[in-house]
Amino acid sequence: MISEPKRIFLSLPAEAECIDIARLTLYGISSQMGFSYEDIEDMKVAVAEACNNVVLHAYQEVEQGTIDLEFIAGDAELTITVSDSGASFPYDQAAHAGIPYEGKSLEDISAGGLGIYLMQALMDRVEMEQESGSKVVLTKYRTGASD
Amino acid sequence: MDRKKFDMSVKENADSHTVYVSGELDLAVAAQFRSVIEPLLPSDKEVILNMRDLSYIDSTGMGIIIFFLKERNEGGKALSVENVPQKIKKLFDLTGITRFLPVHDGSSAAKADGV
Repeated sequence: MISEPKRIFLSLPAEAECIDIARLTLYGISSQMGFSYEDIEDMKVAVAEACNNVVLHAYQEVEQGTIDLEFIAGDAELTITVSDSGASFPYDQAAHAGIPYEGKSLEDISAGGLGIYLMQALMDRVEMEQESGSKVVLTKYRTGASD
Repeated sequence: MDRKKFDMSVKENADSHTVYVSGELDLAVAAQFRSVIEPLLPSDKEVILNMRDLSYIDSTGMGIIIFFLKERNEGGKALSVENVPQKIKKLFDLTGITRFLPVHDGSSAAKADGV
């Protein structure tokens, strides 16, 4: 039986100290949904990276902004939208910036793009949009979930 | 769920500095992490990051480790890791940092997985 997805909203001050709250909320929701320990750890990293980008890039011109998270718990998947209403982050340029570092020497590697790479490597689907602010939509399917 | 707050301490030995990092290394504590390790960068002794009690790392923490690796490498000095938990190692493997991070060869034989 397919039930209506549950929607949970969380709005946090765009401060590094608050990203922990996003991780804890994600932990609660994904545990309740029955995700494996490994999947939960993957999602924690990915969601925190999306929040990092908001804290680091979105609100340089304004005093106080928010990180807005929406968790949609479906039967077979969890979708997390992380959005802000600040300056758009140039996701396209930063994506896949030479990571993973295979075949490179230490002199040639850079930490830029690590966060986006991790989101893409750890989630099943990642969509990025820029309109009034930035939006990242992260999806993870529950392993072994029925259709 | 492991909810240990980030903490770190440095132990100086005859031929090395061991930096014990524990808890969650993320953007909120990145400056603290950097400020403790930065003074060790010029040291001629080996710098070892002991990650036994590290429960989480994000791209900011990994970025700082890459910075330290590059700095130490330029000076021809060693930076290594020990006791890397499996979930941290997974992220190092995924990004490819692993191959730049030698596992400290202590008194017992070093294991490739660092655990």
